[in-house]
Amino acid sequence: MPAQAHIGVTLRPHRAYAAVVTGTTVDVVEPVAPARADLEGVISAAAAIALRAPGGAGAVTVDLAPLLYDTLVRPEAEVPPVAVVRIVPRPATDPALGRSPAELVERRIAHRWTVAGGHDLLGNELCPLDHAGLATVCSELAASGIRHVAVVGAGSQARPAHEREVADAILAAVPGARISVAHDYGGQGLVAREATVVIDCALTALTERLLDRCERTLARLPGSLELRVARGDGGYSTPSRIRVTPVVAFGATEALELCGAAHLARLDDCRVLLPRGGRRLAGEVRHGLAVVRPDEPAGIGTELVVPMAVLTAGPEESSLYLQPEQPPHVLACVGAAISQPASWLDEVAFIESADQLEHVRRDAEERATAMVMANGAAPGTTHVAEISTVALPYSPSGTVRVRVRVAGSPDTSLARR
Amino acid sequence: MTQTGYVGASSSITAEDVPAFYEGAKFYSPAGGDANRSSVISWLAGLLDRNGPVPLLKVEGVPPETPCVSVCVLGSGSAMADLPPAGDEFVLAVQQIERLQRVRFGAVYPLAAATISALVAVVTAAQLRVPLLDADGMGRTFALIHHTAMHLSGVSPTPLAAVGPTGESVLVEVPAGPRADRMLRANVDTVGGWAALAAYPTTAGVLRRAALPGTVSRITNVGRLLLDRTDPDLLVTRLGAITGCRRLARGRIAELEHLSRPSDVTIPAHPSSVVVDEIGGLGRQLRIELRSEIVAVFADGALIAGAPDLMCLLDVSRGALATLDSLEPGDVIDVLVTPADAIWYSPRGMEMVGMGSHGIPLAHPRQR
Repeated sequence: MPAQAHIGVTLRPHRAYAAVVTGTTVDVVEPVAPARADLEGVISAAAAIALRAPGGAGAVTVDLAPLLYDTLVRPEAEVPPVAVVRIVPRPATDPALGRSPAELVERRIAHRWTVAGGHDLLGNELCPLDHAGLATVCSELAASGIRHVAVVGAGSQARPAHEREVADAILAAVPGARISVAHDYGGQGLVAREATVVIDCALTALTERLLDRCERTLARLPGSLELRVARGDGGYSTPSRIRVTPVVAFGATEALELCGAAHLARLDDCRVLLPRGGRRLAGEVRHGLAVVRPDEPAGIGTELVVPMAVLTAGPEESSLYLQPEQPPHVLACVGAAISQPASWLDEVAFIESADQLEHVRRDAEERATAMVMANGAAPGTTHVAEISTVALPYSPSGTVRVRVRVAGSPDTSLARR
Repeated sequence: MTQTGYVGASSSITAEDVPAFYEGAKFYSPAGGDANRSSVISWLAGLLDRNGPVPLLKVEGVPPETPCVSVCVLGSGSAMADLPPAGDEFVLAVQQIERLQRVRFGAVYPLAAATISALVAVVTAAQLRVPLLDADGMGRTFALIHHTAMHLSGVSPTPLAAVGPTGESVLVEVPAGPRADRMLRANVDTVGGWAALAAYPTTAGVLRRAALPGTVSRITNVGRLLLDRTDPDLLVTRLGAITGCRRLARGRIAELEHLSRPSDVTIPAHPSSVVVDEIGGLGRQLRIELRSEIVAVFADGALIAGAPDLMCLLDVSRGALATLDSLEPGDVIDVLVTPADAIWYSPRGMEMVGMGSHGIPLAHPRQR
């Protein structure tokens, strides 16, 4: 059966790039500048190549990350103002602890409120939610005109009750508000979780516009091209998922470049050197997937809880590294075209026996599997790509951190027609 | 009071030192994760910008009658990351002891000059505008608050105060040091999993014989090397030159195991193990035994390092320290070992913090 052609697209601030991958063959799309260098022109040109493939055209996977990052770092970029509601037992007494350490994040925040409440890492309530304080926040928020709200509560990844209550109250006070809640992303660290939902809120409008354009373009094209969106971990998700969790698309480019380089070299496991502003950064691919972690992405200034490729300064001795000849945008397009649906889960649990540990792991795997299917994996094709459970140092005996990464094969029945 | 710096080592800690200080502190205890790294650095650097550098003094440079108190984070770094300090916890803990003892502390020192506990000592000194002593009680971290050189010298950890991120506090007075930790743990869980601890109130004169000297000033130099993110082989060589560490082996993590030894619930974090397949060398299989720290390393079943040695892991791919809450199968790591302070290899030190205290009753490699 002839291979289907898949299109990978990366949207850079000044132009879009695309490549068509059919099995081991890669066709780099060379649009006629300037008219065809934009998103619509490039996708159309790529589709024209893909539709000629004997196996037909499959999907278009779009890397939005460079545009999202560019919008975030440009102070003059049009980004909706974001309000933050932090749920902790008491407000910070030091200004540095009451704000994000990242200027890039903080400048998107138009107003901050703290509401007393919160839980510990295992979900035990530390402080009842301050309903009177919440009512005040809601009334001030309604008067402020801010419609994008990031809500983060201590311990919400274990018990989201306070975050949900705050979100419900805000929605009642500000109908139509776009609310991002931190428990949707799990992860470790209140500041990292807060930065994640602030970026999520800030990028909503741009993500919507970009996906609208992509979907309109595909609607005009013949065939049954399905739209997918690349994730920071190098996998993909559906447009509908990314519309409600745009931060997941943030930082995808590096993971895609790593996977693209490995694919072109026909390697499943390798270390790769990527050129970055006159320097070389090293990343790794294992079993065809980029090595990713929740970390501090370059240029952000704070940690995020969505995983992205781990890149470090390139070594002096580079003979053991893959050094791709293709330019980074081609690698990103190839990586996008071959990407798989993926999911990631990072949480804390409590065990008292080996049986409970097994139960915790199985439960995490099942939920991550459900997530990857929501992200576009075909039933029966999912596999646990990584799982780790580590004891949390200096925590009560039995406290473990569980991280699961699940990947799957594309569900082709999701194609538009 | 005369504030004496000294030649050849740092005499103060400035805002510019903070990133290196953070990394170096991680070398002396790889337990804590990096989930709130940027926030902690921003907090401390901001304080040092506003209040000026914190003088770092040898204990001998401080008048012997000067009242001093130690501080540390009691509990989990992960809990602290998810429930960050409001900012006043450490000062409130110190002030509780000041009120009780009717003294004004003239200097602060870290209970453990490692991980986040090293940084909060600088925070407290900056907030109280007093000097920081270049000395601590552990020279690394151990699990319990009486695992200190001061305890071995007969200095009581109490009266001590613990203030949680909820603003709630506990004041403890006990006749025997080891009772204090047991009384505190349950309270720490109740206030959110971590608390600011102020303990071991004493004088500089006592600390001259009871604390471990020079354990703060060395941190920044180690951190500068780690921030270089250079080639791992070169990094290990450089670290060895200034810390005495050496590489036991390089290998790939094959498995993470839990509840791998009988659990003693008086020590935080249950026993777990990391199985590593050595790359190159003798192709051995390493077994790294963990509690909140690395407590022993076996190679093909033979013990090759153990507590109180300081053992840490270097993520070879990233050229950075691997914290124990971030390990994953497939990671390539260097296993590094550094001798602890000599006091921990004494019979009393070994009894308190050696492998036997972790249920591994084997002779230490340095004693065979």
